[in-house]
Amino acid sequence: MFRWKATAALTVVAALALAGCASGDTGSGGSDSGRADRLTLTAIAAPTSYDIGQGAEWGNRSPFFQAVFDTLLSKDSAGETQPWLATEWEYNDDNTVLTLTLREGVEFSDGTPLDAEAVVASLEHFRDGTAPQAATMAGKEFAAVDATTVTITQTAPDPSLVNLLSIAPGLIQAPSSFENPDAATDPVGSGAYILDTASSVTGTTYNYTANPDYWNAEVVQYDNLTINVLEDVTATVNAIKAGEANGAKIADNNTISEVEGAGWTIESNELDFQGLLLLDRAGTMAPELADVKVRQAINMAFDREALLQSLQSGYGTVTEQVFPATSVAYDEALDDTYPYDPDAAKDLLAEAGYPDGFDLNMMSTPAFQTTFDLVAQQLADIGITVNYTDPGTGNFITDMLAPKYPATWMALEQNPDWQLINFMIAPSATFNPFGYEDPTVDGYIQAVQFGTPEESDAALASLNEYIVDQAWFAPFFRVQGTFATDANTDLEFWPTNAYPSIFDFSPKN
Amino acid sequence: MLSFILRRLASGVVLVAVISFLAFVLLYAGGGDIARRILGENATAETVAKKTEELGLNRPLLAQYGDWVTSAVTGDLGRSWFTGELVSVSVSGRLAVTLSIVLGATIVSAILAVVLGVLAARRGGIIDGAVQFLSLVGFAVPGFLIALFLVLIFAINLGWFKATGYVPITTSATGWIASVTLPVVALSLGAIATVAAQVRGSVIDAMSRDYVRTLRSRGLGMRSVIYKHVLRNAGGPALAVLAVQFVGLLGGAVVVEQIFAIPGMGQLSVRSTTLGDVPVVMGLVIAFAIIVVIVNLLIDLAQAALNPKVRLS
Repeated sequence: MFRWKATAALTVVAALALAGCASGDTGSGGSDSGRADRLTLTAIAAPTSYDIGQGAEWGNRSPFFQAVFDTLLSKDSAGETQPWLATEWEYNDDNTVLTLTLREGVEFSDGTPLDAEAVVASLEHFRDGTAPQAATMAGKEFAAVDATTVTITQTAPDPSLVNLLSIAPGLIQAPSSFENPDAATDPVGSGAYILDTASSVTGTTYNYTANPDYWNAEVVQYDNLTINVLEDVTATVNAIKAGEANGAKIADNNTISEVEGAGWTIESNELDFQGLLLLDRAGTMAPELADVKVRQAINMAFDREALLQSLQSGYGTVTEQVFPATSVAYDEALDDTYPYDPDAAKDLLAEAGYPDGFDLNMMSTPAFQTTFDLVAQQLADIGITVNYTDPGTGNFITDMLAPKYPATWMALEQNPDWQLINFMIAPSATFNPFGYEDPTVDGYIQAVQFGTPEESDAALASLNEYIVDQAWFAPFFRVQGTFATDANTDLEFWPTNAYPSIFDFSPKN
Repeated sequence: MLSFILRRLASGVVLVAVISFLAFVLLYAGGGDIARRILGENATAETVAKKTEELGLNRPLLAQYGDWVTSAVTGDLGRSWFTGELVSVSVSGRLAVTLSIVLGATIVSAILAVVLGVLAARRGGIIDGAVQFLSLVGFAVPGFLIALFLVLIFAINLGWFKATGYVPITTSATGWIASVTLPVVALSLGAIATVAAQVRGSVIDAMSRDYVRTLRSRGLGMRSVIYKHVLRNAGGPALAVLAVQFVGLLGGAVVVEQIFAIPGMGQLSVRSTTLGDVPVVMGLVIAFAIIVVIVNLLIDLAQAALNPKVRLS
């Protein structure tokens, strides 16, 4: 006979025992060091290689690198550049030589000294490697003047250099680890934490312990740091609701209400925009796009507020500019340049010689099908028929940059000014695959690069106004970048990166 | 028996070789710029070209495959193009995690399927109907829905288990139980449905045989007859179904590992395939193929042990 009662009793006992098992162990409790015990974060992307010459990256991968490496400079919670490994920095008269004074007495976690020679070697390692931003250091030469002085020499001014030294290009790896085949998974840096390789699982869970010899111990608020990679949105929300983290990157703003409902606090910044890149401005592939009236008409076809509501549940800000709101180039008034007016757009198309509209070839991908459907619908309202092609998994950016299409929807980061120019606007910019060149734009770019700070700021403002007027792009909105923290954790979310600085978290008690 | 085992292992080697070649070709046939996928949109065309050359992606397909095979037969499966980690380390580290969940689900589903199948076959009537209905539910409801339901109720609302993550048993036994219980349950339900139905059918068939009547007429209790004699004869088909289920559970683990953020082979499969991390995908293909070969061999041996009439040929 089946022993029902015994089985039921065993089940109850097991359930009671297990009820204590599922500890979130996000422990912000205190320890002997005076710091909180552990900060547990979730991220949406795992780091690639810890060898900075291969995988150094910022953005959503920043906490993994920031934990174990120091950068030469840093950004505070307000986004202002601050000393870090370098205590002072200064340009020469023509901005071709940047001199950095290093902090003394810093060592890597393997005991080797972090001096000027090590910094030079690390910078060269990054420059000569294949990390995503390696090209930002191309053409620059590094030299150790003495034990604590490094010079960076460039053939022409690079207004983004100081900023770059506070992000991935500025990460300093111990030269002693360059030849170690396991450097990709066992980093040696001077950072606030040391990766516990034994308990970490590459690609999924990264456990760090506080570096006992860290030179800036006062900024370290936790004895232990855990970063779990949760690529699935549902898993992230579940982890939040179950209290299995202190901070979480929110990839889908449609989940914000659920996150807030779990008692978490939302912090945000705006670093990305979504919209159309009208790449073929010379009309090589799509002659219609060569006419500025056509590009302006496209801008007027979109109800940006409605798109923001439909695609982001209203989280973000409509814009018609690719420069971020924090840039000196940004002018709020320019966001009213192209009011939503399909009738006026049709009139412009007619003036340009396209009273019946035209066909426009673009790419689509299933991951953003709603966006593509809305874009097609709004363009159809002014007579432009979009012919979509799915380029296949992993080919979207490749085909865009080939270039195989005259225009495309895209979500891009709104970089700091000089980086943005080289990323999207300059003739050789990555996202100017047709190499489109405009003498007026070239003039502004020259002034930004070689002018005085005042001339540079003025040129940036003029450049932005010009490319809005010329409708190089049709931005829809800036996307809200969202990060959530639990009731035990405070965060000052810097405005300059998609992921917070690990030093800007602190326990509430 | 030894010759049987050796022959099966030899055919397994051939199978693994064929699968590896097909997988290699399919990975590249999908197209796409792997270097660009690794580096993202911020990299310049020059950096992408440099990465392409660094990884040897501009070499002929057969040359790349030849190099991979040459290294693989010596046990060197290369390094991930994305993380730089040794593929053998990635796969072996996650193998234990996935096997703990899949084996757990297999054992749980085997035990419960036998109990339910025997119950349905013996009692018939309403109980049989109820078991068949539950089997139908197990078939019909997708595994990921079950997983989400379990997380909502038992992890988030009751807090009995972990909603995400994995705790190695070497770190904490109770933590391990808390992290694998829900994934095991989510995976088991569908398998229980399939195997229980098979057990029920096999037991009904076996119980209609003359030897059962003979055993009963000698005074053996029904429980003894079923568990010592009937199940032995009914076990063969059920084991075959269980073997198929095990392989299916390996696939089901992909979804479960995504939902529970468990660092197993399923999660690694999704990530590496999406990224085009060829060395890791190839390592996983080899690992999965070897597991399937071994499982099928073990099932054949178990069936021979259960039923001496079965010839290993």
